[in-house]
Amino acid sequence: MRPPARVRRSGCTARRAARVLALLAALGGRAGAVLPATLVIHVQTPDGHALAGAVVTVRPLDAPPRRPAPAHALMDQVNRAFAPDLLVIPVGSTVAFPNSDSVSHQIYSFSAAKRFQLPLYRGKPYPPVQFDQSGVITLGCNIHDDMLAYLLVTDAPYFGRTDAQGAWSTDVPRGRYRVSVWHPRLRESEADLERELTVGDADRADLQLRLLKSLQPAPITDRPHSWDY
Amino acid sequence: MPNPPHLQVPLRARCPSAALLTLLALAATSRAADWEMSLDTRLVSSDAGRSFMDGGLGATRYDRNDSGAQLGRARFALTASLGELWSAHLDAYAWDDKDRSPVGVTEAYLQFRPYPRAGYRFRLKAGAFYPPISLENRAAGWESPYTLSYSAINTWLAVEVRTIGLEGQLDWLGTRTGHDFDLGLTAGAFGWNEGAGVVLASDGFMLHDRQTPVFGRVGQPGAAPLGAVEPFQQFDGRAGGYAGVEGRWLDRVVLRVLRYDNRADPTAMDFVSGAIAWNTRFNSAGLRIESGTGWTAILQWLDGETLIAPPGMQLQWPFRAQFALLSKRFGRQTLSARYDRFEVETNVPDGDGWQIGHAFTAAWLFDADAHWRVALEWLRVRSYSYYRTEVAGPPLATETQLQLGVRYAFGSGVR
Repeated sequence: MRPPARVRRSGCTARRAARVLALLAALGGRAGAVLPATLVIHVQTPDGHALAGAVVTVRPLDAPPRRPAPAHALMDQVNRAFAPDLLVIPVGSTVAFPNSDSVSHQIYSFSAAKRFQLPLYRGKPYPPVQFDQSGVITLGCNIHDDMLAYLLVTDAPYFGRTDAQGAWSTDVPRGRYRVSVWHPRLRESEADLERELTVGDADRADLQLRLLKSLQPAPITDRPHSWDY
Repeated sequence: MPNPPHLQVPLRARCPSAALLTLLALAATSRAADWEMSLDTRLVSSDAGRSFMDGGLGATRYDRNDSGAQLGRARFALTASLGELWSAHLDAYAWDDKDRSPVGVTEAYLQFRPYPRAGYRFRLKAGAFYPPISLENRAAGWESPYTLSYSAINTWLAVEVRTIGLEGQLDWLGTRTGHDFDLGLTAGAFGWNEGAGVVLASDGFMLHDRQTPVFGRVGQPGAAPLGAVEPFQQFDGRAGGYAGVEGRWLDRVVLRVLRYDNRADPTAMDFVSGAIAWNTRFNSAGLRIESGTGWTAILQWLDGETLIAPPGMQLQWPFRAQFALLSKRFGRQTLSARYDRFEVETNVPDGDGWQIGHAFTAAWLFDADAHWRVALEWLRVRSYSYYRTEVAGPPLATETQLQLGVRYAFGSGVR
């Protein structure tokens, strides 16, 4: 009888694991330097609450910087708002800006990292925009003044956003790292929130970061878009 | 009582900016035009004195003869892109059968909106539009999203004040460059506003939602004691101007201060129509604070005077008004309360035009969906007007108006 596929696959995995273990044994006790460790960043507001949605970037200080692969992202216009209103993308990525609204939009940025403008008429697709320089790019609409979004273009090999518990984690090789935190409503400079840490022998390294100043209040979202802003 | 000479203004037919309308019609066929229509009907109960539209001195839009079903307004609005940086805007209304023409244009202008650069944004408006004073009339069509009837200050602007000219605005967008606030400067130059002040000097302050069409008239010709007037006239060859500053803290707080002077020559008279130029100037200030929990507070303040100087005399009407509005949004419902105070003084020997009063407004608005809105408003105005004694009435009046409004809106921008 032919064995079920699942059993065969798990047998294959077991064989591969055995081979890896043999290799580690051959390396003789140096496995700790090769196996990645988990880096966990916790971001808190000044009063100790978890801060969700904070952008965390991690750069190695020992190894030569490895640039992340460019991505293709999408930022739509839905109901007179950017969706999503924040994207974190590696340097060299492209972002498409469709317009799903029944009204026209005119997206602009005067941020140093990328100055551009796109007149988005209804149903008229535009080629994606490439972002070659790292930095924060603030986006607005020249017709609807209350529309606001951000792009964070980063050259860090590790990046992400904190979850509802204010945590973000990634697996990194052991070594020294610089961790930065950014949020669109941050009132302090990014430099004040930079930390260096060493990921050593332990399998997990934790870093707790607490903001010194409270965030700006969140934009009012339930105000009708037809109102004068 | 015969009409005072300065109120006798014969009708003159004017064509409201035919070129702009043609442009708008062309733009409407293009891909980048948004249009909207709405119909606002009212059920009214009022014990107010005769409405200003019938020559009376009532402080509300509907008087005791208007109780029952009324047309609040029918609106047609168009916004069209003319190329990438120019756009055209039109707001046209039909109010009721007392108007000279069934449809009046309340705003029609071209706007130039270059993309912001290096944190600065410039905008230019040309045409007919409201100067940036009201913090209450922020909804489409210069309507208030809080009450049906506007505050005394903004009712006066709706009746007599419009920029028919140019306005430039320069904003520093601090909130887009990592700061907590924005700053703006605005300046306007305009003509066709020599009649501004005549309604204030005769009717005093009122609280309603009727916006005088551009080049339109207020009141009825031949009505007594107050006939028809036309606020939007130009015959003294002088342009008026205003300048203001605006500060914003995030999207929560707006502070506006503006100085306005129509620079009319108070000695000028149009010998064809008999109209006198009213020199009207005022300072205004406003503060609007919004919370993230649906609360809105608005304070506005107005202080100025209007004067005429026919041969041998100078007649002045200093005026001031304030209001405080508090509103809370509960999902699709909005509850609002407003208190208005207003006063018009005068040096006219018989006291014509002297008025002092206050008003309470309470309103519930329910936006059922993007198309339907239901509104209930209670308005009580208590005012002392010297003019009322001349029409054989008591000078002190307490007027109450209850309105139930149902509005249906549709169009390309309504979803």
